[in-house]
Amino acid sequence: MFQTESQKLEGLIDSARPDMNIQEIVKIYYQVINVSSMAVMLKQTDSKPDLLEKILETEKMISEKFDSDIHPAIRKRLSVMIQQSSENLQSESERTKEQIESDAKLFEELRQNMSTREFVEQYENELSHD
Amino acid sequence: MIEELGRKIVELKKEFVRGYDGQSQIQEIIPKSFPIPEYHLEQLHEFAAKNPIYYNSFEKKIRDTDCVIYEGDINRYWLNSIEHDSSKAPFSPTWIMSGYIAALFARELGYFQVIDIGSGDGRIAFCAKLLEMKSYSIEIDCTLVELQKSLTHTLDFEPYCADAMTFDYSSLNLTRPIFFIGGLAQMGGATLASGVINAVSNPDAGWVFPGTLSKKYALDPKGGAGWGTLIEDNHLNKVQSISLPTAWTLHETDETLYVFAESQISNPN
Repeated sequence: MFQTESQKLEGLIDSARPDMNIQEIVKIYYQVINVSSMAVMLKQTDSKPDLLEKILETEKMISEKFDSDIHPAIRKRLSVMIQQSSENLQSESERTKEQIESDAKLFEELRQNMSTREFVEQYENELSHD
Repeated sequence: MIEELGRKIVELKKEFVRGYDGQSQIQEIIPKSFPIPEYHLEQLHEFAAKNPIYYNSFEKKIRDTDCVIYEGDINRYWLNSIEHDSSKAPFSPTWIMSGYIAALFARELGYFQVIDIGSGDGRIAFCAKLLEMKSYSIEIDCTLVELQKSLTHTLDFEPYCADAMTFDYSSLNLTRPIFFIGGLAQMGGATLASGVINAVSNPDAGWVFPGTLSKKYALDPKGGAGWGTLIEDNHLNKVQSISLPTAWTLHETDETLYVFAESQISNPN
């Protein structure tokens, strides 16, 4: 099972790009957390050498590719997007009913980006406590 | 009688939601006729009509009652409110009719002053003032307080731009006050309420907490629609509750349960 989940994660990491949408971001973090938890649990048992080797290899991939590269890029992009849309949406100009209702969709996107950033920051907090 | 008003407004809301197909972020209805003084109803309409959070209104008959639907948007105020680090609950209003009915309860329970905490656009303080109670409105977001000031020309409900947790309540010379807490317990309301309870040292004070039974939010082990632990920890007694519509329950089957509580050592005389 660890092999399968680890391969799934490897696929997600290989195809990760800076402009991933919210669903893709959540999916990759979920898989990282899932595989990391399995690794911690399996290391506490008497795992076979080849499994142990795969665990260490996967942890290295998470650390070197995801934590050091992909995660900071996602975090930075979310922050930039949030700052830009907050500034755009703070305009004081008079708006028509149609403009207000169209802006409401952008506010909804902003809320989603903010809660995703919160989730991403939570991952970072967990990392710093490890 | 007051419960009946609450039931009527909930029925109107449920019927309204079934037929509403607009796109606005928030909506509320105010009937054109309702069993309350005509002057009060006019003032409630005026509060909505002059309120910049509403950008459109239209008339609609709901369950044989002529109503005005007010459509609004609070996104910009939300964006502003989350930039306040000390803001405990982002602005999302109760319905004006709900504020009026809850203030009626406060008056019936014998309170003299209403303090609307985290007051948003100040609607509860406005309703209390309309009911000839002394009222104060405390809001940490000064943009919202400026909005409130634009609505005080007919009735001055005394808006303050201040942090409710550090406000000097003794300066208001309160005798028998009731504090309306803005925000669900789970949405920052509990932290706000605890801070205000600590800042108020009046055993005759009453408290109104907006509660929820929705499964979306964490349950409080002591119940009280999310407020049970706070009520118990602060030696309060629940005295009354009423379900009323709010902006955040528009598409929910359960309304917001306003829980009225008072100190166990309260002495109304």
